[in-house]
Amino acid sequence: MSITQETLQQHLKDPAIFCCRREKGLVISAADLEDPGLFDDMVEAGLLTLSDDGLRIEQVIGSTLLQDVEALTPITREVLDKVNEVEEEAAPAPAEEAKEAPEAPVAKRAVGGNGMIHIEIGKAEKFEGLTLDVPVLAGAAPAEVPAAAPAEESRAGEKTVIRNLVKKHIKINDVKLGDETSIKDGVITINKDIVKDAVKEDALCKSLELEVIHPNERHIYTETIMDVCPIATKVKGELGEGITKVVDGVVFMLTGVDEDGVQVHEFGSSEGYLDEKMYFGHPGCADENDIIIRCHAVIERLSGMTRPGPFAAHKCQDYIVQAVRDQLKGYEGEVVREEICEDVRRVGNPRVVLVKEIMGQGAMHDNVICPTEPCGILGGQKNVDCGNVPIILTPNQVRDGSIHALTCIGPATKEMTRHYIREPLVEGLAADEELDLVGVICIGSPQVNDEKLWVSERLGSLLEAMDLDGCIITTEGFGNNHIDFIQHIGQAGKRNIPVVGVSFCAYQGQLVVGNEYATAMVEENMDKGGFENDIAGCSCVTPEVAARAIQMLKNKMAGVEIKPAEKKWNNDIINNNNKILGLPETKLVESGTLH
Amino acid sequence: MEYIFPLRQHVGAPCEPVVKAGDEVKRGQLIAKKPEEALGSPIYTSVSGKVASVEESQIVIEEAGTDFDQYEPLKGTTPKELIAESGLVGLGGAGFPTSVKLNVQFKEDGYVIVNAAECEPILSHNIARIEKEPEKLLKGLEIVMELTGAKKGIVAIKGIHEEAIEKLQKANSNPNISLFPLENIYPMGEERAIVRETLGILLEPEQLPMAANAVVINAETVFRLREAVEEKKPLMDKDMTVAGKLKENASIHVLFDVPLGTKVSEVIEEAGGLGAEYGELIMGGPFTGKRTELDAPVVKTTGGIIAAETFMPGPKKIGLLVCACGANKERLEEQAASMGSEVVGVEYCKRARQVKAARKCENPGRCPGQVQKVMALKKAGAQAVLISNCTDCSNTVMSCAPQLKLPVYHCTDGAMRSVNYKMIRKFRKE
Repeated sequence: MSITQETLQQHLKDPAIFCCRREKGLVISAADLEDPGLFDDMVEAGLLTLSDDGLRIEQVIGSTLLQDVEALTPITREVLDKVNEVEEEAAPAPAEEAKEAPEAPVAKRAVGGNGMIHIEIGKAEKFEGLTLDVPVLAGAAPAEVPAAAPAEESRAGEKTVIRNLVKKHIKINDVKLGDETSIKDGVITINKDIVKDAVKEDALCKSLELEVIHPNERHIYTETIMDVCPIATKVKGELGEGITKVVDGVVFMLTGVDEDGVQVHEFGSSEGYLDEKMYFGHPGCADENDIIIRCHAVIERLSGMTRPGPFAAHKCQDYIVQAVRDQLKGYEGEVVREEICEDVRRVGNPRVVLVKEIMGQGAMHDNVICPTEPCGILGGQKNVDCGNVPIILTPNQVRDGSIHALTCIGPATKEMTRHYIREPLVEGLAADEELDLVGVICIGSPQVNDEKLWVSERLGSLLEAMDLDGCIITTEGFGNNHIDFIQHIGQAGKRNIPVVGVSFCAYQGQLVVGNEYATAMVEENMDKGGFENDIAGCSCVTPEVAARAIQMLKNKMAGVEIKPAEKKWNNDIINNNNKILGLPETKLVESGTLH
Repeated sequence: MEYIFPLRQHVGAPCEPVVKAGDEVKRGQLIAKKPEEALGSPIYTSVSGKVASVEESQIVIEEAGTDFDQYEPLKGTTPKELIAESGLVGLGGAGFPTSVKLNVQFKEDGYVIVNAAECEPILSHNIARIEKEPEKLLKGLEIVMELTGAKKGIVAIKGIHEEAIEKLQKANSNPNISLFPLENIYPMGEERAIVRETLGILLEPEQLPMAANAVVINAETVFRLREAVEEKKPLMDKDMTVAGKLKENASIHVLFDVPLGTKVSEVIEEAGGLGAEYGELIMGGPFTGKRTELDAPVVKTTGGIIAAETFMPGPKKIGLLVCACGANKERLEEQAASMGSEVVGVEYCKRARQVKAARKCENPGRCPGQVQKVMALKKAGAQAVLISNCTDCSNTVMSCAPQLKLPVYHCTDGAMRSVNYKMIRKFRKE
């Protein structure tokens, strides 16, 4: 398809190909050239073979054809009267930033123009109409700025801590099944008969079975992995503040089938050898050296694809976890790490929000939000019951286990309960001194398309009201959820809020819909074939993904150009961006999905 | 024998009958007039006889004892009056009233360009007429030049018609009239293509040749215009080409002065009769003609009657690529239905710009590339494509569709195959 002058200017370095048959004597112009944006499709369709002898567009414009040339053939030196001399650049800019962009300085809001902080107190008890100008001191504002002063512009990213959460990571060395539930000397003992009481928590749960799997015992068959859940408990304050104890070195893993032996995740399930079916070390998964307490549930036949069935399994497991939590509260063992989590405001920095699209389509696509205990069930509300509307959490609430995930089929891209308590994007954004993370929005993904749009519009209004400078939107899963995802991006985009999307797309991503605002996308894939594989937690938000997404958001907010993605998924682009940011290489897992 | 005169034969308002059933009429007599103040042209009977019926949309005359050498002469005295009175319209197919078109006066250098491209394949009656009476065409051109004040006259004719060119050159003594040889590709006869080729000016699809100080007029129109002015003859006879699946298979016949109102079946009989098997009857040329019936009458704009080859059975799903220069979407849909194919996608050539009711090409005969369109049709599920592109664009389609495993059908296939012509596909220099 012939191109315009504008398109021509953008593609001067691209191959010059005639869009149609052109005859001897023609002076080459934009109207004669094929749009380089189509080359990938054409090559793929076998319509076009680019050759090394082919000239670039800038070399042929204005030249005269010496012979007739057929459509879709590269223009070569032999058929032209002259070739434009173009200075060869020493090192042509690597075309790597297709999907992601290189690092660039982030724009900061300037401090007051005259180097002074201007404080104006409109009306105060004693100083009516007082104004004062205070010189800006290096690094920090003067010690005591009156709290009431509306001095936003002058504070330029100064950190204000709203609340602290202390997470005490308690060392546990072993887990045993015994006669009584207890924690002693770094050993958790679980009453082996607890399953008899736990199963009574929900009539749909028919049996429970516990088993301790040590790191060296992982080559063991497992039914589909429904969740990985940390053991954490409040010892002071509510969720998101105070003190939480978290067990270090042990996690629960829930697996499930129905009475007929049908996997709860009937298709796209992850049953198989455990050592092959989990991406150990990823945020949602067990770590390399974790002891796994496998809780295997059998639920009522045919209830696997309903909402109550899988929920029953989670609920009954939680009864057991709660028994351990109760012991943990009083256990004063070795604290391997004391993690101080802060909800902060950095007024003056770009206001950003993290939007996490969580599941909400019913069946096992559900999440329990803000339970009483970290990562628990009791006291929480299911997002499906809440109508999947956007719900704001503070970063600390997320980091304190506010989300208990009921994940679904397609384990590779699902964020399990453990993921949220250590979500890399929450950690990264909260820690970033150049940003002001104002909150984390969890939004469900309804089953029906009309509802998706309705929910997304609610998100749009919320984003608008939050007066944001930028946002990152993530989604888990593949397919259905991408309909919501792209609508969310549109809601932000049409309000001129710079938005970065984070998702698994990869090779399958050809099916993902797009829109004009989806210009900054970060890839989560770690599968060699670029497919959603059956390794739990494989392609999800990792610290590297988070780092790339945050940098891309900064670039977008600063107006740094983000180059359009290549037509096809290409892991080299992702690794180039990793390299630019000094991140480790994204190594892909061979899982038999190569095509 | 019945002769049928539709009251609406071309653009403009339908005519108003001035005869009633039972009236005796003579060849050349006015039977329907142009409504006052409306765009249109009067209609004359081409035969003598009795008015059989006056219906809402047509007048039917039962012919009896016509002397085809005689006619009722026009009454006007000046060329301008005679042209308006004659009912003359553009005979190349558009049917725009000639008196309206020629109602211009060039102030500076004006050009009258005779469109003798006859660029639809198969049609050959214009060139045959020029070869027969070149001097009459030149005389007609002089009348138009004088009428419009044009200083120059150009006859644009394809270079391959050597005999016609030679005869015109021999007959021409006017230094202000020249011949311009055109390349033999479709659509060289498009009005704006002619202006571009002869004067080097590319008009916008919305613009008329007047924007280039030119009037473009079809060769037969010029020929009939001379008849009106010099012989006071109303428009009632038409030259045409009859071809295709006739008794004499794959034959092409030129019929001069076919009386308007003659039924298609009669015209075909004149050419020897219809063959045993055919796909469709086309009135007009292969690219832009429309399907017609045996009972339909010849009208002012009829240039050809082609009995096309039987339809090739198409694939289950077909995609349409519509070009401004050939069949429109509706016509392609009609052909797809005859092929037994379901239309799963429709794309338009990038240059086919919608201008009023129809599409016009932004630069006739110069392909803007079709690959994206063809790929879109494949994506829509098409197993083959049916196209109405010009020569250049068809060539481009042929450079990609076969590689995409999409067989290509062209709207002209039935007509071309009916006379054993090569189908419009890959470009071939002749």
